[in-house]
Amino acid sequence: MRIPDEQLALFEQRLQVLGVGRRDFLKVVGAMAAFGGLGFATRAEAAKAFKLAPGEKLAKEQVMRLGGGGPWQNDPSSHDFNKDLYCTGVAWQFAGLMVFNADLVAEPYLATKVQSNKDGSVWTFTIRKDSRWSDNSPVSARDFEWSWKRQLDPESKAPYAAFLYDIKNGEAFNKKQVTNRDEVGVKAKDDWTLEVTLEGPRGYFPVLAAYLAALPAHRGAVEKHGDKWTEAGNIVTNGPFVLEQWDHNKQMVLRKNPHFFGARDVHVEKAVVPIIPVQAGALPYENNELDLTWLQPGDLKKLQADPRMQKDVFQYPFPGTWYLLPQATKPPFDNLKVRRAVAHAIDRENVVKVSQGLAVPAWSMIPPGFPGAVDDPKIKAIQRFDKKAALEQLKGTPFEGGKNWPKITLSMREEGLGSKPLAEAVQAVLLDSLNMKTDLEVLEQRVFRERLWKQDLQFVWIRWFMDYPDPHNEYFDTFYGKKTTGRRQAWVNEAFDKELEAGRDTRDPKKRLEHYKKAEEIMQTDVGYVPVAWVVRFAAAKPWVKGIEKNKQGQNVIDGNIYVDMMRHIYIIEKG
Amino acid sequence: MALSTPASGTSLAAAGLAAAPSTQTSNLWRDAWRRLLRNKLAVLGGVTVILLCLVAICADFIAPYSYTKANFGKIYEFPSREFPLGTDQLGRDVLSRMIYGARVSMLVGVGAQVIIVMIGVPIGLVAGYLGGRVDLFLTRFIDVMYAFPRLLFVILIMSMLGAGLMNIFIAIGLTGWVGIARQTRAQVLSIKEKEFVEGARALGAGFVRTVTKHVLPSALTPIVVSVTFGIPEAIFTEAALSFIGVGINPPTPSWGQMVGENQQYLRSYWHLCVFPSIAIAITMLSFTFFGDGVRDALDPKMN
Repeated sequence: MRIPDEQLALFEQRLQVLGVGRRDFLKVVGAMAAFGGLGFATRAEAAKAFKLAPGEKLAKEQVMRLGGGGPWQNDPSSHDFNKDLYCTGVAWQFAGLMVFNADLVAEPYLATKVQSNKDGSVWTFTIRKDSRWSDNSPVSARDFEWSWKRQLDPESKAPYAAFLYDIKNGEAFNKKQVTNRDEVGVKAKDDWTLEVTLEGPRGYFPVLAAYLAALPAHRGAVEKHGDKWTEAGNIVTNGPFVLEQWDHNKQMVLRKNPHFFGARDVHVEKAVVPIIPVQAGALPYENNELDLTWLQPGDLKKLQADPRMQKDVFQYPFPGTWYLLPQATKPPFDNLKVRRAVAHAIDRENVVKVSQGLAVPAWSMIPPGFPGAVDDPKIKAIQRFDKKAALEQLKGTPFEGGKNWPKITLSMREEGLGSKPLAEAVQAVLLDSLNMKTDLEVLEQRVFRERLWKQDLQFVWIRWFMDYPDPHNEYFDTFYGKKTTGRRQAWVNEAFDKELEAGRDTRDPKKRLEHYKKAEEIMQTDVGYVPVAWVVRFAAAKPWVKGIEKNKQGQNVIDGNIYVDMMRHIYIIEKG
Repeated sequence: MALSTPASGTSLAAAGLAAAPSTQTSNLWRDAWRRLLRNKLAVLGGVTVILLCLVAICADFIAPYSYTKANFGKIYEFPSREFPLGTDQLGRDVLSRMIYGARVSMLVGVGAQVIIVMIGVPIGLVAGYLGGRVDLFLTRFIDVMYAFPRLLFVILIMSMLGAGLMNIFIAIGLTGWVGIARQTRAQVLSIKEKEFVEGARALGAGFVRTVTKHVLPSALTPIVVSVTFGIPEAIFTEAALSFIGVGINPPTPSWGQMVGENQQYLRSYWHLCVFPSIAIAITMLSFTFFGDGVRDALDPKMN
């Protein structure tokens, strides 16, 4: 079933209500567009038979220690995803009806069958009977009914309850217009059948059901312990792991949940997650206190240079693009020739050198290997680095020969991952090619966003992290001129917008991509943006950590915001 | 020695009113100078400070390379003969950037003190000299300002004004005058009761004349001491601001910014962080030694 566009709009609206989670949810929409128009799989992939590589021997102690470099840098506020999807707890303690696989496609998890009525306004999930909570009680459809109603219940004060507003009367119940919880459209018809009645046709609902916010909570534990139900000792979970020990601000220890339906295929017996501030860098990993860690720029080079650890480092998918926005409404960038000069002035090969391997030169929005990536020499040539061509462009403008520049401020947001060195490199090449002096202004996140959306900044250094692998995200969600909220640039181009609309409305995948390619060409020619670099990210895992899943591009996939299913597949082999 | 004891009151009472302050002060300053020279640490600090000032002033002639020019072929080089302190993430010479960074530090140190003196001294003078309600009001105001956590207040002002050298002057100046105002007031309180001030008033000198010609010169000692300690404090505040990224905008270098930007590379490229840190430390230490010496020299009773 392909999800009709008006439903996509509704979906987007739902996400805007959520605010914080919007981008994350968009990633999910991607699955709909990118995988043959199917938002989700109706059947779980058959579990791959577990097989050790030759020479590998399972370690006796299946203990996995992970963290550092970002995730779990602060103590989680709880593990209650049912109440707050941003609680930053350990997600692999719970199992939802659906789950995202390594390609970000939602597939059945606790559900065995997903069906809808004809228009997609009523969804029926058949739930497997062989899975149990960690206290050995069955996981039934009633758990999901209760949990989702708990999230919608105004008494729970769940901050992102709007996530479930697609459910009939969900919003009314949450806003106290309906007080009878039986009128909320989620109902366990029997222990193993969950029927969800929605406000209207919502083809994407099973995708929502795969998201963190749709995870269940354990009724008994919540009723007994209230908000303290996710503390160690109180918590009851239905996923592969369960919290055993939680020394706040120090570390969490998790044990395999033997009652989870897939427990037989879960190898890790014990997972240790220390709380490590991001400043600690990769030191804990180097000291062998972690088996898997996420890497920040400062540590990458060091690990890669270490003969013992260089093999541990791997790239994981985090598609994103660094680019410049010369504001087309502000001098001197209101002059197309100046914008073109800037585009030709960026020495990308050199700029990325400062990133120490965390960026590669970019010539378009979409990095290679993703749907919609362009590899056309014609497009690559539009904004090629060419000092002469850059100065040529300035002829006839007041800035001929790189003179008379007004005060130019390049603004960026405060963030890590080597953003600032890249921006400084851009400053340096602009000075070198065009004699354009710029001041680099690092703005606090909120101030930056506010001024960005007012299109108040003169010259912007910014990135777009791809939310889902479809050009709609890279072009429409970012550059569409008729967007009313969250538009980053004042630049508008009628022809460009037309191509985006055509791309959105075309079903034929090949023709769609043609439209986006044309859009890229228009945007580069009119210099709506200047692509500079593509983001590259790395993590490291010890040689004895095996079983990390790979996506279709063959990259190792580790836990992020959408995919949180890594631990179920990992196993530890004998060191040696 | 007995003669040189700075007994302002006695010498003044005997001498003629108009001529008195100049001879008295010159004695005081000359003695102080002698005492300062005898303090080896203070001399060392003072010489370093002078050197730093020279470096800041002559940065254009001393620096071997430009501080903006990137050299992408020589990124993150360790110290070598070509680049004595190595190169940074853009291949810029760290030594050159530190030399230009000295300029920022010295400018901030001096510039902020000018503003501090311009705000703090008049307020202290007026409060101390006039007394009464004016004093009460100004003192309370000073107390209120004093109650703000200094660095937070500076950060607040910086985020309102935006980054930049001028704004750092303003932010540090607006928050830093409180101490100097208090000290001036305390000094004025004791001086204004002295006979020479009463004498001046009796001879018909107005408020402005009395204060500027008679009270202020005698109250200079704590102001000078306060300024010598204020300069390193301002330099350090700038370094702290630039470290957290609200100080000087790149590509203009500042020591604090260099440390802040590169601290995450400390384990991979130690030179980027260590040299600017040493520069900050040496500067702070020199000013502190020098300031200690100046205080001891001006006020031997403190020992």
